[in-house]
Amino acid sequence: MKGDEEATGGSTEVGERRRYELDDQGFDEVPKKYRKFYRRWKGPGDELAPNEIFCPVCRIVIRSPREIRPGDRIYCMACMTRLRAVRGPDGRIVAEVEYT
Amino acid sequence: MRDFLDAYSIQYWLESCPQGYLEGTEYGHRPGEKEPELLLDDPTLREQAISTTVQLVVGERCALAASSGLINAAPDEASRRFLATQTLDEARHVEIFTQRLYDLGVKKSELEDVIDAFANPNLVKFAEILLEKVDKKDFVAGVVGQNVILEGMAFHVFEMMHATSEKLNPKFAHTLSGTIADERRHVGFGENRIGSLIQAHPEKKPEIERMQRDMSYYMLATFADRFRDTASREEVQRMRREAGSDGAGSGTWQGANLADLEPEEMERLLADTILGEFKKRLARIGIEYQTPARP
Ligand SMILES: [Fe+2]
Ligand SMILES: [Fe+2]
Ligand SMILES: [Zn+2]
Repeated sequence: MKGDEEATGGSTEVGERRRYELDDQGFDEVPKKYRKFYRRWKGPGDELAPNEIFCPVCRIVIRSPREIRPGDRIYCMACMTRLRAVRGPDGRIVAEVEYT
Repeated sequence: MRDFLDAYSIQYWLESCPQGYLEGTEYGHRPGEKEPELLLDDPTLREQAISTTVQLVVGERCALAASSGLINAAPDEASRRFLATQTLDEARHVEIFTQRLYDLGVKKSELEDVIDAFANPNLVKFAEILLEKVDKKDFVAGVVGQNVILEGMAFHVFEMMHATSEKLNPKFAHTLSGTIADERRHVGFGENRIGSLIQAHPEKKPEIERMQRDMSYYMLATFADRFRDTASREEVQRMRREAGSDGAGSGTWQGANLADLEPEEMERLLADTILGEFKKRLARIGIEYQTPARP
C-alpha cells in the first residue's frame, strides 16, 4: 500500500500487522537472547522501520517482530524503561515514557 | 509487563554487564590493546590525553561517592539494590580511567598530584553541588543531580569522545563503550525512579531546579575551559593531520562530521546537545528546566 513507507513507523493502523524477521545487529548490552530486539541508533539521519522505535531515555532503537502501532507498550531492556507508542506531532510514531 | 522495580536485580546486572558486554575485557578494553604510539610519543598530545582523562576520573569519583552515598537514603529495597550495582559500575569507571592515566605514563606515586594539578575547578564545583545533596541524604535531589544531570552530561561526553576515538584510538573507544552501556541503566533509573517520586514531592521542585541551573552553569564553564584552551585546539588539529585526515580519523556524532568542526563549534554542539537533553529529560519527570548563564 502506498503511504505505508512514507511516515516513519509506517503504520497504517488497520488490518493485519506486518511481521518482521529479526536478526542480531551486534547490540551486546543486553543478555544474548534479547539482542535481536535492539540496535544502536545511527544519529539524526537514521530512518526507523515500521517495527522500530527510538528509546528517548537511553537513545537506542528497539525492534519488534511486528509493526508498531500507537498504544503498543514496549519495554527497553537497555535502560529498563517502560514505554508506550504514540503518534507524535509530525505523524511519526514515538515512544513516551510510562512512570510508575 | 514486569514491575519496573523488579528489573533492578543483581541477576539482571550480572547477565547483561559482567557476563555480557564486559566479558573478556581488561580494564574495559580488549586484552592487549595499547594507546596509540602517536599519543605516547608526543609530549603535548600525551599531556592533553592525561588532562582529559583526569576530568573523567574526577567525574567518576563524584559518581562513586554519590551512588554509594545514596544507597542508605533510598526509600525502597529495589532502589538500594540498583544503587549497589551502580556503585560497582562507578567504581569500575574510576578504576579504568585511572588505569588509562597509568597507561599514559603517570606513575602511581604521582597520581593524586596529577589529578590535583589537572582537575578543572569548575568541574570540582559541579561535583560539590551534587555531593552536598548526597551528604544531606536528600534522595530525590541526589538522584536528579547524579542520574539525570551528571550522567546525562557524561553520557553525551562519552558518546562524542567515542566517535572521535573509534578510528584513532580503538583501546580508548572500547573502554568508553562499556561505560556508555552502563550509563544507559543509570539514566534509566534516574528517570524511572524520580518520575514517580517528584509527583509525590512537588515541594522539592524549586530546590532541584536551582541545583540543575547551577550544575549546568559549571558544566558549561568546564567545557569552555576545555575547548577554548589553545593546546586543545592544537591537539585536535595535530591528531587530524597525523591521522592523514580530511575527516578519515574522526567519526560523526549528532549528524556532524567532527573532523570538520573547530573546537568552538564542538563546544557548542556538545553543550547544546546536553542542555537540549536535560530539558527533555527534566520535562518528562515534571521539572522545569532553568537556563543557566553562559560562561
Ligand atoms: Fe560512571
Ligand atoms: Fe554512571
Ligand atoms: Zn532505553
